[in-house]
Amino acid sequence: MTSIAPNAGVAASAGSAAAAAPSIRRPKKRAGPVEWIAVHLVFLVVCAFFLVPFLWLLSAAFDEKATAYIQWPVVPTIMNFVRLFTEHDFGRVLANSLFVAIATMILVVIAVALAGYSLSRLDLRRKDWITYAVLLLQTMPISATMVPIYGLARQLGLRNSYLGLILIHAAIELPFLIWLMKGFFDSIPRHLEEAAWLDGRSRFRALVEIVLPLARPGIGIAAGLAFLAAWAEVLMVVILIDQQDLKTVPLAFYEAMRTQGGYTEVQYGVIAAMGVLYLLPVMVVFFGARRLMVRGLMNSTRGL
Amino acid sequence: MTASRRAPFRRNRLYLAGLSPAAFLLALFFVGPAIWALLSSFTNRALVGIDAANPRFVGLDNYVRLFGDPDFAKVILNSVVFVIGSAIIGQFVLGLGLALLLDYAERRGFLATSLVYAAVLLAWVNPTIIAGFLWVAMFDFYNGSLNVGLGHVGLGPIDWFGSGPMLAVIIANIWRGTAFTMLIFLGALRTIPSDIYEAARVDGANAFRRFWDHTLPMLRPIAALTLLSVTMATFGTFILIQALTNGGPALQTEVIALYAYHQAFQAHAVGYGSTIAVVMLALNLGFAIVFLRWSRARA
Repeated sequence: MTSIAPNAGVAASAGSAAAAAPSIRRPKKRAGPVEWIAVHLVFLVVCAFFLVPFLWLLSAAFDEKATAYIQWPVVPTIMNFVRLFTEHDFGRVLANSLFVAIATMILVVIAVALAGYSLSRLDLRRKDWITYAVLLLQTMPISATMVPIYGLARQLGLRNSYLGLILIHAAIELPFLIWLMKGFFDSIPRHLEEAAWLDGRSRFRALVEIVLPLARPGIGIAAGLAFLAAWAEVLMVVILIDQQDLKTVPLAFYEAMRTQGGYTEVQYGVIAAMGVLYLLPVMVVFFGARRLMVRGLMNSTRGL
Repeated sequence: MTASRRAPFRRNRLYLAGLSPAAFLLALFFVGPAIWALLSSFTNRALVGIDAANPRFVGLDNYVRLFGDPDFAKVILNSVVFVIGSAIIGQFVLGLGLALLLDYAERRGFLATSLVYAAVLLAWVNPTIIAGFLWVAMFDFYNGSLNVGLGHVGLGPIDWFGSGPMLAVIIANIWRGTAFTMLIFLGALRTIPSDIYEAARVDGANAFRRFWDHTLPMLRPIAALTLLSVTMATFGTFILIQALTNGGPALQTEVIALYAYHQAFQAHAVGYGSTIAVVMLALNLGFAIVFLRWSRARA
């Protein structure tokens, strides 16, 4: 299951509600001290639950003698990162991951821009059915089809190939993002492109020159979500890649975690350093454009 | 609907062409595998050995075996416990509670609100495999932050993966997935104008009545959809549990996706693994159809 969007339908419902009534706020009332303390006590507990694991990750990454216990290192060091790149060839792994995620992103953007626009403008009596079929695929867990995907990929020679990995990552993201983009295109009036047709532009040129620039926020959201999903996806990597030089970050992480039990001593520090580097692009993309991303998930999927 | 009703395919051929790259990928990696699983479930296909090269048609043998398999009964029970514990009780209740709290705090202008919001969101957007690793460390028996923390207050240590593995994976999944429910409810709550609360306050309604009479009715329609959506997402959980316990000890946390994987890749029984996948897909389809009906009824 991809991490970003468990389901599009809910977001759509929330989105349409949000669209109908943009938030109406009154000037804030001052809170009493008791209320302030009570709310912030709960905040503290919630933050502890959600943040302590990350604080541990950060502290362990800079601690050569890191254990599973959260404690700030006596002598903070970047040795874990150095070892990662010198002993574990992490530079290559990182480059592999970036390549796969960016290629997936490009493929997804092209495919969903075309499909979202087409689905929005399609004029068939049974068009609803296509939309529902897309939604139905969205709810299909990838963990249920991983056995057949493995078998299929083996028969098609798509194992240990980035082509296979990129195609599968793209396919996983398609249902949700097609749906998202359809919503964006639905909100762009048809007469704009119809005017361009009358000017003598081809359908494709009208799409590229008139419609796509208007859908830019949607394209940006789709690109961001596609990158994040491909970057974070691990299931398909684990079943499709076993050649060491093709390894991507999730697989390196998975292997490092799995070999830790048993004979070797747990290298918490090195794995945590890997985790920090793995998490960094996610935080940059998501929190750099948080409002855009959240809005993308919540707001723009109306139109069913 | 400006064009004529005649020749719909001719009229739409460019749009159908535009759909085709996506349709191709979806057919190859969603529809294809589902059909492959269905066909394999009627064979004794294996990963290695003689049945790997020449799978034989075995009719409904796999299904008969599956429904008489005591392990499968346990796996289904585990899945139900995991979904109820982490999705319905955990993520849903905690997500709703957090949404109410954050909406309230936001209306009050508390500055820490966005920090809490970001903390919950961070657990959701980080890659699943990291979530697994973080909680492996948190639950560590000797040095894990949880047991050390419990030790400071004179409790524990608890052998999380030994004596309460299901609880451990449920906690990890609550941590990971709560943000989704929170975001959905927060979106819905933000559409409720503050005036309603002010009016109710002036009328003398207490906090509970304001919540019961004004907030809850506005959340109810979205609640059912969210619940179903979270259930579906949780039902397919694989990586998180594999990273934490790999289904063990003694099948105590083996959920349906893990069982399919273990049968196919460890027991090398691809036909049997496919049968489990088919059952899983069928159950999910059932959820999805209910989901679509509800969302259509709402639209």
